[in-house]
Amino acid sequence: MIKVNDLENLAKKYRRDLFEKFLLIKQGHPGSIFSMMEIVVTLYHCGFVRFDEKKKLFLDRVLISKGHATAALYPILKDFGVLPTKEWDNWGKTNSLLRVFGNTSIPGIDITSGSLGHCVGAGAGMALSYKKSGLDKKVYVVISEGELYEGSTWEGLLFAKHYGLDNLKIIIDINSLIILGKTSECLNLDPIKDKISGLGIDTFESNGHDFKDLISIFQKCEKTNKINCILANTIKGKGSSVMENKKNWHYWNEMNDDEIKITRNELT
Amino acid sequence: MLQRDAFIAEITKRISKDKNIFFLSADFGAAALDELREKFPDNFIHCGISEQAMLDVASGLALEGKKVFVYAMAPFLSLRAIEQTKCGAGLMNLPICLISVGIGLGYADAGPTHYSTEDFACFRAIVGSSIYTPADVATTKLIVNDMLDHPKFSYIRLDRNVLPDISPQINSNDYQKGFKVYGKEDKKKIALISHGKMLHSCLELYNKDKENFICVDIFRSKPFPTELPKEISLCKGMVVVDEQSPSGNLSSCIFEGFSAQNYFPKIVSKSLPEKYIFENGGRSYLLKRFGLSNEDIISATKQIID
Repeated sequence: MIKVNDLENLAKKYRRDLFEKFLLIKQGHPGSIFSMMEIVVTLYHCGFVRFDEKKKLFLDRVLISKGHATAALYPILKDFGVLPTKEWDNWGKTNSLLRVFGNTSIPGIDITSGSLGHCVGAGAGMALSYKKSGLDKKVYVVISEGELYEGSTWEGLLFAKHYGLDNLKIIIDINSLIILGKTSECLNLDPIKDKISGLGIDTFESNGHDFKDLISIFQKCEKTNKINCILANTIKGKGSSVMENKKNWHYWNEMNDDEIKITRNELT
Repeated sequence: MLQRDAFIAEITKRISKDKNIFFLSADFGAAALDELREKFPDNFIHCGISEQAMLDVASGLALEGKKVFVYAMAPFLSLRAIEQTKCGAGLMNLPICLISVGIGLGYADAGPTHYSTEDFACFRAIVGSSIYTPADVATTKLIVNDMLDHPKFSYIRLDRNVLPDISPQINSNDYQKGFKVYGKEDKKKIALISHGKMLHSCLELYNKDKENFICVDIFRSKPFPTELPKEISLCKGMVVVDEQSPSGNLSSCIFEGFSAQNYFPKIVSKSLPEKYIFENGGRSYLLKRFGLSNEDIISATKQIID
């Protein structure tokens, strides 16, 4: 197992790499991407998403339902050799397959997403497909807490529970902010744990930026033979004091030279 | 025989040889579905009364290579879950076949929540969709076997009720073209164009007056049948009859398909009015009351004559 210190360095490097891209393309969703960075680093670099080194492909699926944050996967997929380096290098400079929102034309991206609330259902369909075909494959679905406002998310959870999809792992990135402010003030979602547990789904809570905690919870989920859901408590814009816990950093904002310098320092 | 029973029976036959086929329902039934569920329970997936999740689940199954059929009542399968259809079958070009039952006023007298009078316009707008509206069981069977042989993003519009057989029926050559013309084009004649239930009204009028009319069954409206304009362009005009609301119905489709080939015929659109229908009286009464009786169609042809 990779060391926690190395995982922390990887997360910082990916944030830095993505920050340089944001500066270049002047758009994107840094707050949402930075809030889930440790979650996806854990999934890919701790072996939860299994990788066939020879074929250079992942055996399990990862669906980023909060499609505005799919770009978090690009530097990871590049490191695994799944995403050609030239696509990453060219992004923001010349022709590249990469987009602010992910889609299935990008190597390693398993679903076209962007509209919220689709991937619990789609992930359930994939997980059911594996069960019907007797395949040992898993689907990890990362959703934002904002997607709990979408009725289709709850329809999908109901479906997944009924069909006993223990190969479907749902992670909710709870950074407590949506575009107009705090979820608790805009339209309260709490108590999220009670609501999901109420469907009969085993629900675990984790610090979404603590690798030890995340690894421990993911391992616990792997051992259960039930559908489960991880509530990852996170900070929007984590890693950049300019962005942290600020709703306006859902989207890219222009930065002055001082802010750029501060952020670069914090991510180095 | 109901179109839905014919459709599902063909799928059931095929599942016996191909376990990769999955049939999803949002709590919508049929006699033939009872048989499918009994014979092949592993290939039937009840999605609850959750059309949106059903389309998302269908996307997941299709992304893993399954042949997916989703089935529900027309107004809910179409408009309730339209964004799921766009983001799944549309954006990812997934071979999902949507079977939509009860188009038009098929659920009379349930009222406008259960009428499906906008689905045609909505589905035409989704990029990559194919749309079929069969007028009888024989055509329905040709369609389902095509979808089984060549899975694609398709929207199949079936009637709630038993429709009479068309004679002569659609053959494989017609099927490839996407339409069938009854009668021969002539500059003195008017083409009556329709699909589904309303085609039968047009055929009845054609059979009564072959001197003045030809009739066109456009059972595949998207992709538009490109051979149609040149086969009927000599006619002095067209009346397009559709049990849909006025905007974006079959007449829009005809105009766009013809104009794309630089044909600009006189077209009169006969559809339901721009209103939601709450009146009782049954489908035949409502069609007559709201402008789709045979007399109304004849009146529309006068617009061209005059």
